[in-house]
Amino acid sequence: MLRYFFQDPFNALAGWLQSHLVLPILYATGGMRWEDIGFGWSLFAVYGLAQVLVTFAVCLPLEQLAPVERRPLGREVLTDVFYTLLSRVGLLPIVTFVLFYQVQVTVTGFFVDRGWIPPTLETLLPGLLGHPVATFFLYAVILDFADYWRHRLSHRFDWWYALHAVHHAQRQMTFWSDDRNHLLDDFLSALWFGAIALAIGIPPFQFPLLVLLLRFVESLSHANARVSFGWLGERLVVSPRFHRAHHGVPAAGRQSCNYGGVLPWWDMIFGTADFSSRYAPTGDPTAEEAMASGSYPAQQWAGVRRLGRTLLGRKLLGQGSAGYSR
Amino acid sequence: MSRPPLPTRRTLLATVPAALAATSLATSASAAAPIVGGGLAFVMNSAAANIGVIDMAREREIARLPVFRQPHHWALAPDGRTLLVGDAAGNGLFFLDPARGTMLGHRPFPDPYQLWFSPDGRFLVTAALRLNRVYVWQPGTLRLLKRFDIASMPSHIAFAPDSSMVYLSLQGTDRLAAIDLGALALRWVAPVGPAPAGVMWHRGQLLVGIMGSDYVSVVDPADGRVRERLPAGKGAHALFLDPEERRIYVGNRIAGTITAYDAASLARVRTYDRPGGADCMGFAPDGRIWMTLRWAAHVAILDPASGRSTTFPVGRSPHGLFLSNSPTLASRQGQMLNSA
Ligand SMILES: [Zn+2]
Ligand SMILES: [Zn+2]
Repeated sequence: MLRYFFQDPFNALAGWLQSHLVLPILYATGGMRWEDIGFGWSLFAVYGLAQVLVTFAVCLPLEQLAPVERRPLGREVLTDVFYTLLSRVGLLPIVTFVLFYQVQVTVTGFFVDRGWIPPTLETLLPGLLGHPVATFFLYAVILDFADYWRHRLSHRFDWWYALHAVHHAQRQMTFWSDDRNHLLDDFLSALWFGAIALAIGIPPFQFPLLVLLLRFVESLSHANARVSFGWLGERLVVSPRFHRAHHGVPAAGRQSCNYGGVLPWWDMIFGTADFSSRYAPTGDPTAEEAMASGSYPAQQWAGVRRLGRTLLGRKLLGQGSAGYSR
Repeated sequence: MSRPPLPTRRTLLATVPAALAATSLATSASAAAPIVGGGLAFVMNSAAANIGVIDMAREREIARLPVFRQPHHWALAPDGRTLLVGDAAGNGLFFLDPARGTMLGHRPFPDPYQLWFSPDGRFLVTAALRLNRVYVWQPGTLRLLKRFDIASMPSHIAFAPDSSMVYLSLQGTDRLAAIDLGALALRWVAPVGPAPAGVMWHRGQLLVGIMGSDYVSVVDPADGRVRERLPAGKGAHALFLDPEERRIYVGNRIAGTITAYDAASLARVRTYDRPGGADCMGFAPDGRIWMTLRWAAHVAILDPASGRSTTFPVGRSPHGLFLSNSPTLASRQGQMLNSA
């Protein structure tokens, strides 16, 4: 079985994790109904760990060799490391799954009971069956397109940006900053992609290395490194230079640019691309200090406060204007 | 063993349920598996989105038939000529030729996690674990006869030998559900033990593997009352009766073992060490037991006499397993009515 480990280290590690950690915990806590899902999580955690390690191995030297800003790593970066581990290896995917499990049952069940069976891309385009890699990339393009609009809308609506501001508040960007998101923002993303999965199915999940590659691009795009992919390359894949413009101080809030996660195509098509920008300072001056440099709970709480202020402020404003018109 | 003559495309189509006429037919890409002498094993690689076709004589994969997302379990059509495989997350039902190891086609289907035909061939029952629904279909046309909303996680299926009742474990609860197929009505839902998994009709009783604990419940089919608990290993899962009806085997998920019971006395007679998440089992003509190892991406072949097993690699998270030359299929009387 040692040979097997080298043939498929992902599965070998996930199998070990499942047998020695996940199942015993599920058994001890009366959660054996989730044993199947548990293996999915084990695979996810192993892939996630690989993502983190690969990103670390590539981005750390890059940040040393060609940094945009030379300054010692602050405590804020440690918080970003925590965000990364939480979402790529840790609990966040489980919490999201459990929270939305019943939503999935109810919504999918509603449609199925009315005769509509949620399709996959292979159902919609039958020629795709048997070409899983092509299918995977088609899903990646569609999901990236959907993510462009999710991201753009999260800047467009003040209440949504109140949460997304957590991502922008970081002044010292590193490759760890990609997963720095408000929990509620993460849940909104889960709902967004759940709706898309209902329409076109979940993507094939048998290509961990391809997922790793896409997630790597997203992490790399946050790296504190003077890396551009050249005129053509920047128009094919999001580069650190391209995404840094999105995090630039002038681009915080409503008037932003470069929303794309992996592909800059959508920014080019919908007129939000900015390839001109040099490496600007990053951060969101409208964000309170706790959101930028606070601990994880402080940042989350700051997001909730800002959301409250936005909603409450609008309500007060609404009442005021109603009174004025009278 | 006798084999039907090579079918032409026309005769091949005639063996498929009428429902398949409305489905997409497979393209040449998946229709090229060679014919093999020693029987074919079909392995549902649930995390690899394909069905591995294994030459049983050489214990080697000879083809991979692509499906959408997540093939879990299978059912052999009453005429024995079409193998149905459910793709739960992909919402698709796939039709295969079990003799040739080729794909015949597929059609949209709501979350077919587990599926099985009633012994009289009049009903196809599917359990939609993700949607908390149980469907009863008319085989052939695949017309829906009745839908049952049963929470939660309906999983394994077993029929009464006279096809009057179907029983389903509700993996998300501690319960077993009984549906009257004549009246198409839910008869009872009764507690049998935490996270029940495999269900098997055995000599007038129901045996239920209790995954959330370490025993097999012996249940009265009339009212769901638990009569007895048979000691197993921790995480008792699916149950299988051998073709000679001498032994019943249960895979234990947490313990990493397989418990063998005497089929007549239900006494525990032997425990085999078999880590890796033993799941679906199939009985080969040579007396050895093939089984998928869910967490190890391998199939194990256990010699029940010596207790030794060998393994060979398959796709990720192999779940359902079908052996085209199993004596269990030939007899079709073993009430091997759970499919893991
Ligand atoms: Zn943004
Ligand atoms: Zn960003």
